[in-house]
Amino acid sequence: MRDDLKVGVFLCECGGNIADIVDLDKVREELDVEFIGQFENLCSLNGRKIIRDAIFDHDLDRVVVAACSPISHEKTFQDYVKPLNPYLMDMANIREQCSWVHSDKEKATHKAITLINASIEKVKQSDAVDPIYCQTPDEVAVIGGGIAGMNAALSLAKQGTKVTLIEQSPSIGGHMAKIGKVFSPVKIAEECGMCLLNPILNELVWNENIEVLTNTKVIEAERRAGTYNLILEKSPRYVDTEKCIACGKCAEACEVEVPNDWNDNLSMRKAIYRPFGQSYPESYVIDMDNCTKCSNCVKVCTMRAIKLRGKPERIPLQVGSIVVATGHKLFDMEKRPEYGYTRYDDVITQSELGRITGVNGPTKGKLLKSNGEVPKRVVMIQCVGSRDEKPDGHKYCSKICCTVALKNANIIKHKYPDTDVLICYTDIRTPGMFEKYYKHTQENEVRFLRGRPGEVVKKGDNFIVRTEDTLKGEFVEIEADMVVLSTAMEPSDGTREIADILNVGVTEDGFIKESHPKIKPIATDVQGIFVCGTAHDPKDITDSIMQATAAAAKVNEYNYGGVEIEPFIAEIDTEKCIVCGECIERCKYKSMSVQNDQIYIDPMSCTGCGKCLNGCKQRAITVNGNIDEKIMSTINGVLSKKQEGERMILVFLDNIGYTAADNIGVNRLSYPESIHIIKVISVNRVRPRHIRYALENGADGVFIGEFPGDLMYDEVERKIQRAKDRIAEMGHNPERIAFSKVYIPYFSGLARKFNDFDEKIAELDSSK
Amino acid sequence: MKNVPDKDILLFRSCLVSVEYPGVEASTKFVFDKLGIDYAISDKQTCCTGLGHYSDVFDQIDTSAIGARNFKIAREMGRPNLVMMCATCYAINKKSVKLLNKKDDLREHINKLFDENGLSHLKYEKDDLKPTENIFHVVDILYGKKDEIKYHIKYDLSDYTIATHHGCHYCKVHYEDTIGGVRDPNIMDEIIEECGCKTIGFYDHKRATCGTGFRQRYSNPDLSFTATADKMNAIADEDVDILVHLCPNCHIQFDRYQHLIGEREGRKFKAIHLNITQFIALAMGGDLDKVIGQKAHTVPINSIIKELKEVEK
Amino acid sequence: MSSHQKITDSPIDFAVEIINDVKNSKEEGVLKCVQCGMCTSTCPAARHSDYNPREIIERVLDGDETILKDDNIWNCFYCYTCHSVCPVGNSVCEVNQILKQIAIENGIGYEKLYEYMGFADSYFTAAIGAIPEIFFTDIDRDVPGWWDFRQHLDEIRQELELDPPLMPSEEVIDEVSKILTITGFKAKIEKIRASQEAENEERS
Repeated sequence: MRDDLKVGVFLCECGGNIADIVDLDKVREELDVEFIGQFENLCSLNGRKIIRDAIFDHDLDRVVVAACSPISHEKTFQDYVKPLNPYLMDMANIREQCSWVHSDKEKATHKAITLINASIEKVKQSDAVDPIYCQTPDEVAVIGGGIAGMNAALSLAKQGTKVTLIEQSPSIGGHMAKIGKVFSPVKIAEECGMCLLNPILNELVWNENIEVLTNTKVIEAERRAGTYNLILEKSPRYVDTEKCIACGKCAEACEVEVPNDWNDNLSMRKAIYRPFGQSYPESYVIDMDNCTKCSNCVKVCTMRAIKLRGKPERIPLQVGSIVVATGHKLFDMEKRPEYGYTRYDDVITQSELGRITGVNGPTKGKLLKSNGEVPKRVVMIQCVGSRDEKPDGHKYCSKICCTVALKNANIIKHKYPDTDVLICYTDIRTPGMFEKYYKHTQENEVRFLRGRPGEVVKKGDNFIVRTEDTLKGEFVEIEADMVVLSTAMEPSDGTREIADILNVGVTEDGFIKESHPKIKPIATDVQGIFVCGTAHDPKDITDSIMQATAAAAKVNEYNYGGVEIEPFIAEIDTEKCIVCGECIERCKYKSMSVQNDQIYIDPMSCTGCGKCLNGCKQRAITVNGNIDEKIMSTINGVLSKKQEGERMILVFLDNIGYTAADNIGVNRLSYPESIHIIKVISVNRVRPRHIRYALENGADGVFIGEFPGDLMYDEVERKIQRAKDRIAEMGHNPERIAFSKVYIPYFSGLARKFNDFDEKIAELDSSK
Repeated sequence: MKNVPDKDILLFRSCLVSVEYPGVEASTKFVFDKLGIDYAISDKQTCCTGLGHYSDVFDQIDTSAIGARNFKIAREMGRPNLVMMCATCYAINKKSVKLLNKKDDLREHINKLFDENGLSHLKYEKDDLKPTENIFHVVDILYGKKDEIKYHIKYDLSDYTIATHHGCHYCKVHYEDTIGGVRDPNIMDEIIEECGCKTIGFYDHKRATCGTGFRQRYSNPDLSFTATADKMNAIADEDVDILVHLCPNCHIQFDRYQHLIGEREGRKFKAIHLNITQFIALAMGGDLDKVIGQKAHTVPINSIIKELKEVEK
Repeated sequence: MSSHQKITDSPIDFAVEIINDVKNSKEEGVLKCVQCGMCTSTCPAARHSDYNPREIIERVLDGDETILKDDNIWNCFYCYTCHSVCPVGNSVCEVNQILKQIAIENGIGYEKLYEYMGFADSYFTAAIGAIPEIFFTDIDRDVPGWWDFRQHLDEIRQELELDPPLMPSEEVIDEVSKILTITGFKAKIEKIRASQEAENEERS
């Protein structure tokens, strides 16, 4: 029987920090346990011997250390109780939550007795459990072969990790391959993008730790203990990359011409084609949607590399972690028809201007209008689809368009100094060193007009751009013969698809959401999945590379570190479970999935919050560690020490709230003695029956605090409201229950809330 | 596509349609009957206050109180779907429904006034009507039935150069709820296509105002007619024969004042002006006097449409 | 030009007053204005007069209440183009309407409304919004044949098998008149009319 367990209590004087306020002699007298001793500094090294000897001498089954906060020394005392199981020890916090917040010695002593008694009752319910260690396989899948994915893959490979780089299109390289020139804010000069990309591409191709799969998509994913089982689908290329020598005879023979998407459809290509000069694999590919199967290419191929038949191939891939680098696409200009993009050939996007000015582009680098003439005036319009909350627009700033416009304006000015370039902007955003490039652009005689144009129409040979010059406060019509639109960056279709397949969270704008925007900018809300590049949010090449290499570091941290997990997580009784899937729906942490026709709980992401328990009609789920019983015993342990006329308020806090409460003591603020704080692994585990039991057995009030950043916050708030309603139905006053936000740094606010709640309860008691 | 009803409709009468272009009402009924749309009118319904509202004479509370009364009439008839022939009636009523649902203070204030003055029967309860589900313009209803239009077409109008003028208060006020776009409005172009005709599509100033500007036409005619001239010139540049409207106020501005603006611009403008329902009614064989109401028009319809050619079956 | 902002000045109050108006459907839109000028870029009144919608918001955010007396605000067409494109979700068109109502509350702009009293009158007499008779002379001058057409309206409507022009019953007119009395509309109209007629008398 648990009541017969032999409990030892170790009281720490903490130099006087505790003993000066709490009368420890009185404490010893009041508590009835197998062993109770008082020591000067238990956390010091000789504490280990004191505790171990007592455990042996008195044959102790359980240990309570009444000292400082478990936040400070729980790990120390878990170690000191060896050979007892670490989870058979509990700490009563009589320093931060007693001697440091109370000054009345008598009351503080009684409070300490109550808190220690609660710990004694609680620890009797504890069972020996072992922490869970997880080790994930160290193979990694990088999804997306643009500049971010390439850099992540390369960095991982160089650190010795095996990587599979998965690219949906026929070549890796991404947007950077077609961008033409890039610029450097430090050099204040434009450089050849391909020349910077090519060495990375070569290095990647020759690295033995990387396997590149082009024409390949992830179509399924499942997760098991940190291992991802992916199913890939590789579409046929119809050209054998081993045999093809990229001589190009096939394309010469091909009679089908279609718009060249790599050139933003500004030129034509054949149905058999190589995406661009430096594409990898170095091989042609057939666009089967447009191929007529005339076999001309097959006939001229001396390498016999072409096969007109092929089927998609399914490839299973097992990895420990995933880097999502699926990138962006550009805003669809049909959504802003007033700028005439769909009506006029010479209204183009910055991306198209990049192709036109690229030496490997449709005009071999010459800036020409559709009629073959050099434009006299180019007007650029910023923020098209960005900073626009109207339907189909994006509220965010796409971040790179200002500098892209400056770059393209400079490129035009270098080659065609007589062409007038006017940039219509709302704000030029060139933070940091980019400001110098902005000044450089002004020196190049590029003109700027502050105003957001309303429309572009064609009048005769020219366009009219209608706008206000907001600095002059004047409506103007500007003639131009080329208009360039700086279109917003938005999540690519691949980004939206992969978010769905991997079940990772996305932002309201559809980008992959980081697990915390400040301190966890690379992890996603799913353990083991990381994000980099423009799949995450709009950013430039530099930032994409930085985030990609950071993602590689995070992957290796995760791969090689292994993970120790507290064992208080959910467990499924497969005999009872009918795999209805209700728990999968309920879990906010995405820990549950169906694998091999059974519910599988990922120990790495389960927090033991217990939300799944309530939804399980079969009662097939338990959370390890007797949590319910521990909470009940703790409540009993507190309330059984209630004295005549004493007010008792129970406060339930998880790790974050508890730390905030500790901070009240650390900063020597105070709150009433009636406040009794009970630490729980998740406040969601405090059930209505706990609250009801407490109120019916002597508690005058119940206060529950939760950090609003917790995924369960809304849930808990609703639950407490329901509990209040039910309590009211049963004839109790729901005002005796409080729910409140807690924040670690806002401890003074928490202290005030404790005071306010205590006063309110006092009023309710007196009016009764 | 949003859900558009074809029954339980209260066809909301418009002051301007009634006294300026009654043929619009007759044509709407003619086309609705052909398309099997279930509608009725009510002699209890009153004006939406739009003209006074946009002349700054009525404030929102006056307009919404009058709105609440009309909404109650629609509900009591079992015809909660209000369908407007006038773009301003559409905008005004939709805004009143939105505000009455969303702004508790406004609704409670108006209901209190009703209660205190023996008008409790007019009280509006939150969500009595829904802006998107109950408030429509005739073009919405036509769009919902557009696939059926082609079965009723009698005359071929495809030889004429046709442009659309969508105006302002259908597209732009409740832009999130507008079929066919607001930046390059196209709902009427799409409907006209179902009559076997092609419009010129986009033209300069396509989404611009007619220039009425409510008080501008009477108090500030120079400003008003200069704005109209922008559009009239653009239409003439495209050699348009028929300009199709969805709002009687725009219709007045173009049809009644085309001659005057022509004089001001030193240019002869030729386009005739038809409401979208008149256009469809004409294509469906409606009589120029008995359905289209050509006698109300200032620019004679027969100055462009001299004979009607039957469609080849 | 220079100005001085005192520590006790609170320019934002003016914008907040507008936001709190029942007619405002754009929540805090006014405060989000970045002065991009897209409203002005598409505004027919800005194209052809000194009206500038961007500047309206600039002055509102400056707390510049002299705008209530600025004749330019009366040039808005209520075409809602600015409202339909504003990238931050503001509506100058609505703000303009609210400004005019604030002006009227403060006794400003009565002369602008006087000619339009007919819209109010027709409501009390017929529960419809008829074009005020005061404009009939102008219309007759500008639109050849209009007067004649109006004389034959009943016959034209008959030919179209329509009832005589919308003329609701006495009962309906009474109910509507009552509504417009209890909302304070009638009193406001009477006040404007009395003030203008007094002024006219003074002038003559």
